[in-house]
Amino acid sequence: MTAPAVETKDLVKVFERGRRTIWQRLRREPDRRERFSAVDGIDLRVETGEIFGLLGPNGAGKTTTMKMLATLLIPTSGSIRVLGIDPLERPRDVRARLGAMLSGERSLYWKLTARENLEYFAALYHVSPNQTRARIERALAAVNLSDRADDYVERYSTGMRQRLALARALLPDPPLVILDEPTVGLDPQASRDLRDRVRELRAQGRTVLLTTHYMEEADQLCDRVAIIDHGRIVALDTPAALKRTIRAEEVVHLELGIDGDDRTVLEHLGRMATVARSERTNGTLAVTAHCASARDFVPAAFDAARSAGATIRHVEVVPVTLEDVFLSLTGRALRE
Amino acid sequence: MTLLVADLRAFVAAVRKELRQVRRYPTLLLSILFWPVLLPTAWVLMGRAYSGNDPQALAAFAQRAGSPQVAGFVFVGYAMYMWLSTLLWGPGTALRTEQVRGSLEAVFLTPASRLVPLFGPGAANILPASLNFVVMGVALWLLFGFVPTFQATLWTLVIIVLGVPAMYAIGALFAASVLRFGEVGPVVQLVRGIFVLACGITFPVAMLPGWAQVSAWLLPPTYIVEDIRRVLLQGAGPADVTEHVILVLAMAVITAAAAAMVFRALETSARRTGMLSRF
Repeated sequence: MTAPAVETKDLVKVFERGRRTIWQRLRREPDRRERFSAVDGIDLRVETGEIFGLLGPNGAGKTTTMKMLATLLIPTSGSIRVLGIDPLERPRDVRARLGAMLSGERSLYWKLTARENLEYFAALYHVSPNQTRARIERALAAVNLSDRADDYVERYSTGMRQRLALARALLPDPPLVILDEPTVGLDPQASRDLRDRVRELRAQGRTVLLTTHYMEEADQLCDRVAIIDHGRIVALDTPAALKRTIRAEEVVHLELGIDGDDRTVLEHLGRMATVARSERTNGTLAVTAHCASARDFVPAAFDAARSAGATIRHVEVVPVTLEDVFLSLTGRALRE
Repeated sequence: MTLLVADLRAFVAAVRKELRQVRRYPTLLLSILFWPVLLPTAWVLMGRAYSGNDPQALAAFAQRAGSPQVAGFVFVGYAMYMWLSTLLWGPGTALRTEQVRGSLEAVFLTPASRLVPLFGPGAANILPASLNFVVMGVALWLLFGFVPTFQATLWTLVIIVLGVPAMYAIGALFAASVLRFGEVGPVVQLVRGIFVLACGITFPVAMLPGWAQVSAWLLPPTYIVEDIRRVLLQGAGPADVTEHVILVLAMAVITAAAAAMVFRALETSARRTGMLSRF
């Protein structure tokens, strides 16, 4: 059995909110800053050669976890092993073997060309002089930027800059690549393109650990996904297995017009399916229901609405997604 | 490739990267041409306006400054002010620029030594800052007819080069605070002001009150500025300034050790609090 690419045990990161002024320190006033756990006991094991996704809403603790793996943050407690190395004891060794894309396009020098950016970072990654040129060409080719290598980065689109940031992460020829929200802010075409590049990394035998709050991205790209919320992993499995956990074949989104109390109609619907979410806005009630068969549920939902004095204005039947898994586990949508 | 060689290569790459960026804003180089001439010339003319060519006033100046060369005194002071600014705030400015741009984390993700992002970009600024000396030397010759001897010029360069470690060590202390506290510009301005007042940049240290003079001689720039004036304006030789040079080097060792400890402590603190990516 090969060693995992990444392993964390009971990983915790606590931050303090607010400020403690010098005056307060001098007067030795009690520290009243609020402490919150951005990461709250994460156990993770990423196997070599897989694409592993951390899926969760903004503020769930994904980026904090990545930064601890990449040696940019020191954990409050818990242990980390990256490629079998403890980043606290040997941070430089971890950095030498890790390709990381954490802050995207802002982390590049826009007044330099792509090639000049990579030349600089190749030296920082200690790539030997006789390998530098080949390594840069390979990285540029891997992200499809060879023909624009001598353009200033300021002339690039956001998608191209993201790809260049990925190329930079590939310079040390890393066995492990970590990507923080790699497709955020990209148009659909650029996102697809970047995902293709990530799949190629796996095909080359590299391990990829990425964070995302796009459920489609996690679903399409990842071999395994950990759903993370409030700094904790709430589920971890393959996308298919995660979708099976909600015991539904289909998801029905209903929009009902209702004047009075909505408890009756929700009670009726709850007898026929799992009501994962309901939200009342004035005279409109939005319901998300997980059911075995929409063909059976939808007519029954119309009857239930009629008997409760409500009208169904809109019906949408969709297959189960990771969004529904997140909803069933946390009671909230990913985008909330 | 050993770690040291790899880090030296990274250092050179950092210098080259910085020079490439400077080259893309050529108008910035204009400031090298006019500031080193305009400002000290204005000070010299101001001094002449106050005293004219009154022999009594010039004698009083010579007694305090150790030389009757008013223009030379002012130009050396201003040249050192610009040089010290480059060296002292270079490392901090470099880190702060990377932090605000968003590239600091990307640099800190690499295995390169922290000394590379700290001193590499600052070292790149030494080249344009050195041009200041040339421009000021030419201005001093053309406007005021002052021409130092070749030997004095050579020994001045030695003093400047040997003073670099001390200046960089103090600069590293400030740079470390950028990691932990982000914007330290106002503190830097305050210290810069103190240095201008205390180190004999624009007037002789002898003009300061007694307690301030004692404090001034605890700062390496005071020795560097004083020694350069002695060599250029008073005809002092290597033997006359060796003691000071050794003292400045010793200060550099002590300050560098302190800077290394402070930098390590504040970097660890920044990694605990997440300040590396905040600004």
